[in-house]
Amino acid sequence: MPNEEWEKVKQALKKPATPEAMKEAAQAFERYQVVKLAKGKGSKPTLVTLGRGRGYPNAVPVNKIPEELAKNPNFFNLMQRVVK
Amino acid sequence: MPVAVLMSDYDLPTRSASGFVLRYIAPRLEPVHLYAIMARRVPFELSAPQSDLIIGVGHGDEVGFSGQNEAVILEVGKYNPVEVRGKVIKLLSCQTGIALGPDLVKNGAAAFLGYVDDYVWLCDADLASTPWSDKMATACLMPVVDSLNALLDGKTCREAFQIELDGYSRNAEVEEDELAKSCLEFNRENAVLLGDPAGRVRKRPKLPLPFRLVPPPPLLVPLRR
Repeated sequence: MPNEEWEKVKQALKKPATPEAMKEAAQAFERYQVVKLAKGKGSKPTLVTLGRGRGYPNAVPVNKIPEELAKNPNFFNLMQRVVK
Repeated sequence: MPVAVLMSDYDLPTRSASGFVLRYIAPRLEPVHLYAIMARRVPFELSAPQSDLIIGVGHGDEVGFSGQNEAVILEVGKYNPVEVRGKVIKLLSCQTGIALGPDLVKNGAAAFLGYVDDYVWLCDADLASTPWSDKMATACLMPVVDSLNALLDGKTCREAFQIELDGYSRNAEVEEDELAKSCLEFNRENAVLLGDPAGRVRKRPKLPLPFRLVPPPPLLVPLRR
């Protein structure tokens, strides 16, 4: 079932990586987390990638995603590609 | 059937991905396992020419694939074609399908299976010592394992590739977490098969039943933060 908060994350990630858009995406992701994310799925869910020298960490704990989204345009761009 | 398996293991993503290969692929292969500190260029140079299949788990980018602590193993134009000629190569790594994969095929690799963007998934950092038991990572990594097992059991590259894609689709359909679902769809979209889709490797011997793969002991080496 589509999650309303997730739809807001998707909309926020459709914008270019400006500081305002990054902040908006971070806030949307925080709200999404409160509602749903990783509920009962594990003790420390972490988003990981096998990239090299890409300007963002290879492992971002899910609860730190909003922080990373707000400050790192490269991570924002990755999330834009992943979340469609 | 000789297979070179490179499993770097020094940070959370490499630990998680290599853990699945270590648990589900490595036990049924001849022992050319380049694990952790052995996942480096020189051991690879020695083992690759004798292998039919090369499986690599490590960080990568458009032009290169790296092993332990980002030691470069394969880079466009910087390897001996003998290492890859006639081989099926699977790299579980980011973006190697953009330039490295085509270069490997140009230099004689029978087929290349990889990804044209980042390979992303969710894992549980608290299960770093037993990554194979991480249910969260299973959704993304088991399709890769299933595809590799199919290849090792005599399926063609096209069939093995399709098994991986179908695995992502199946898991995405039942996934409740939207972020995990996005990761599955993203990996499925970015998976590529280059070279000969009908390529295959020699079938590994069947195991007599009853047969049970025993999990490896916990991995206690600390990870780089």
